[in-house]
Amino acid sequence: MSAERVSLSSIALTFATLSSTAFGGGQKASIRQQVLARGWMDRERFLDGLEIAEILPGPNILNLAIYCGHRVRGIPGAIAAFLGASMPPFVIVLIAGALYFKFAANPFVHGALRGCAAGALGLTIANALELTWDERADGTRILLLIVTVLVVLFLKMPLLFVMLIFGGAGIVSEYLVSRRRA
Amino acid sequence: MTTALQLLWVFGQLSVLGFGGGKGIIPQMHTDAVRTYHWVTSEQFTQFYTIGKLVPGPTTVFAALIGYAAMPSRPIIGAALATAAMFVPSSCIMVALDSLWTRFEASPWRAIISKGLAPAIVGLVWSSVWSIARGAPSGIIGYGITAAVALLMLRTKLSAPLLILLAGAVGVAALR
Repeated sequence: MSAERVSLSSIALTFATLSSTAFGGGQKASIRQQVLARGWMDRERFLDGLEIAEILPGPNILNLAIYCGHRVRGIPGAIAAFLGASMPPFVIVLIAGALYFKFAANPFVHGALRGCAAGALGLTIANALELTWDERADGTRILLLIVTVLVVLFLKMPLLFVMLIFGGAGIVSEYLVSRRRA
Repeated sequence: MTTALQLLWVFGQLSVLGFGGGKGIIPQMHTDAVRTYHWVTSEQFTQFYTIGKLVPGPTTVFAALIGYAAMPSRPIIGAALATAAMFVPSSCIMVALDSLWTRFEASPWRAIISKGLAPAIVGLVWSSVWSIARGAPSGIIGYGITAAVALLMLRTKLSAPLLILLAGAVGVAALR
């Protein structure tokens, strides 16, 4: 912990700058660099935060910003970090939306949007392949994964039940594996 | 008024269930926004998701665009409600649990929970491929762009937004 009190506006500004300039995967690294450079917390505390930010619901970078704000200045710090990390993307996406509804019918814009959409689909497929590759070693996990896909696609199972049943089954099976190892 | 409440209800639920960074919520969001409430078409849903990937910040900020489309007479209000419902509940959970979690420091439960949820989340990501595909261009050119981007993402260091923009350039030429 730094001796000096970090101001709420500097928390909000730090995350506003990060959230409006960092794209994609680079964001976590830039948050880490900023937070460590400012001496807001040590490396270990930060990595703790990264882990929980990735597991709890919500966007990782928003959660991570909130964790940092919370650690540095309590609830007000968390609120400052939330506003800093969420307002710039909200405003930017609103501008994009206003332009979308104005110009989507233009044939050039329409073509560009369709091309971009095909590209975004490709990114999603790449992400799914990468994530699946990480699971390949364990038959139980692959089975769980496949059944999840089937019940969502064909039975339209609501997300709440998917998380309760298949998320729950995954946690139970991990627990049993860890007990066998112990 | 009812649309406003529906937006809060739909995105509030997605917020609380968005484990793993929100990767898994796309199929449910598609079902709610396109099939149940008819706020957007499948094509709009996919294009909004794409915009979410293009702008800085979390992809799920595209909830704002669904809110925008859902309340045509007051689009900014709709966008603000959807975004607040998408981000505030998960943020409150984060604040409530982060100190509890660090107290678990050495506990094996942290690894068990994060590893245990992964298969379901990856399954949901595959399902979201289907949701997104419904609004993506069909035909040989569309499929070609999709395959090329997937391959380039896996095999090169090109960034995601750059790949989407390249795909858009091909689209201007070939998908008008």
